[in-house]
Amino acid sequence: MDQYHNFTLEEFVWDDSFRNWVLRPTREDDEKWQTWLVENPEKKALIESARQLVAAISPKEAPLSSQEKKSAVSRIISRSAEEELLPYPAVTPWYEKSWLSIAATVLLMIGLGWGIWFNNQRTVVDYEELVAASTDQLMEKVNSTGKPLSVKLEDGSTVKLNPGSRISYPAGFKSGKREVYLSGEAFFDVAKDPANPFFVYANEVVTKVLGTSFFVRSYTNEKEVSVAVKTGRVAVFTRNDPALDIKKNSRELSGVVIEPNQQIVFVRETVKITKSLISKPELLEKSTLHHNFEFDDAPVSVVFSTLQKAYGIEIIYDKNIMDECPVTAKLTELSLFEKLDLVCKAVDASYEMIDGRIIIEGKGCKMN
Amino acid sequence: MKPIIIDNHQEDREITLWRELLAGNVSSFEQLIDRTYDLLFQYGNKFCRDRELVKDCIQDIFLEVWEKRNALNHNIPPRAYLLASLRRRLHRVTQRNRLQPVEDFSPEGSQFDVEFSAEYQFIQTEQDQQIASRITTLMNELPKRQKEAVYLRFFHDLDREEIAAIMDIHPQSVSNLLQTAFKFLKTQWKAIISVAIFFRFLA
Repeated sequence: MDQYHNFTLEEFVWDDSFRNWVLRPTREDDEKWQTWLVENPEKKALIESARQLVAAISPKEAPLSSQEKKSAVSRIISRSAEEELLPYPAVTPWYEKSWLSIAATVLLMIGLGWGIWFNNQRTVVDYEELVAASTDQLMEKVNSTGKPLSVKLEDGSTVKLNPGSRISYPAGFKSGKREVYLSGEAFFDVAKDPANPFFVYANEVVTKVLGTSFFVRSYTNEKEVSVAVKTGRVAVFTRNDPALDIKKNSRELSGVVIEPNQQIVFVRETVKITKSLISKPELLEKSTLHHNFEFDDAPVSVVFSTLQKAYGIEIIYDKNIMDECPVTAKLTELSLFEKLDLVCKAVDASYEMIDGRIIIEGKGCKMN
Repeated sequence: MKPIIIDNHQEDREITLWRELLAGNVSSFEQLIDRTYDLLFQYGNKFCRDRELVKDCIQDIFLEVWEKRNALNHNIPPRAYLLASLRRRLHRVTQRNRLQPVEDFSPEGSQFDVEFSAEYQFIQTEQDQQIASRITTLMNELPKRQKEAVYLRFFHDLDREEIAAIMDIHPQSVSNLLQTAFKFLKTQWKAIISVAIFFRFLA
């Protein structure tokens, strides 16, 4: 302990042994430093200053309640037990287990079997059932007028509810997720809050977003449910998706992810989701000003990449073959599909839409 | 104010729990999660403000430990191993989000960021309060990697080798980071002290 005689305040503040005594003292540490203080009474004020500084300065840490931690820990434990069931044989042989737990297992399996059977029988889910099954206290807005009705949610999100549509939502969202139920048609402008994803339950279809604007159409008496995106990205999956919980809880958007100008259509009868482009793709809002759609002898790749950026829609083509093709055109006033028609005509190509993307087919323009 | 005494040595206990969990003991697994969860959460939060994402990543790394327990080394310090895994995982996840830019994820999400602050009610004299305020200001001016090393070294008592493993750099680089940080704090410190002395004369 001799080295401490000439220590300055600063040196004490950053000394390991000293810090440990202040922050994580063991019995030995404490004895050691108390003895040293008795032997060096003149250092008492200095040590006291250093001790206060060490105790007072700390990194700002995020609050984590013991309840939150407890539930996180037990979730890990239960998940690890679930995974155990699949790849490995059980650790204790079944005959060593108490009869009680076997009975419980059998009961659970019967329950599960019934659940699976039940799910298979009933693929059509409607709004009333979803609302009835919710554990939240829900409020309902019904638009019986002839005009869209604007509904403001507690988190700052707004919903434009079309005539004949209804929405149920809690007065206050619980932390972790924001859930609303829709029957009919509505445009959502969701307040950004990635920590609390926003879910729209519309009959069989679940739409998950972190903060964006989009359109949902889901009338109980119609054959299709559709979701279209205006800004941002949303993920869509069906309620009977076997991985529903994983997709709902994952921090990434998994499921079918759609982007601006894309839509998904869920056909209720065949339980199939398809992704496509909406019928009139619009320029992305932020890009309206920057794009120049007048091309003068430009390679077709430049035209495609301009369109791709302006509409946020992926355009796929063979660069090797098509790049030689020059395009001179003024496309500014045209819709996306009109633009594509013109360009394709100019370079002797055709396009089709697959999976929300545009695929260009052409033979190229090499003259030899 | 007398410090609270901790009797058993934390690290030894964690190594024991680690070995027991690798042997398949669920209760040791749970205890280890419980002991390290706060640190993992706090550290993860410095890279990513999205607390649910951090919690998911912590869950993933523990599930991976459990799944691969037969193949893991019995002799590695669990704290450093878990922190390193979490850091890698967070980088991977935020990186992936960056490759396909979603407007809802911040692009700079995977950088270590921490703010140091002082609780002035712990400090009696005004002079020491001035010093504390200056120290925290200086610490907050440190570059991110130096901050990360300082955070792990002085606020979570990890040693040089452990920090090297966590940050995935050479132990010598850890020493360099810490030395550079202290050189900066020290040169600026002289100014603090003289200001403090000046104030004492005024008082």
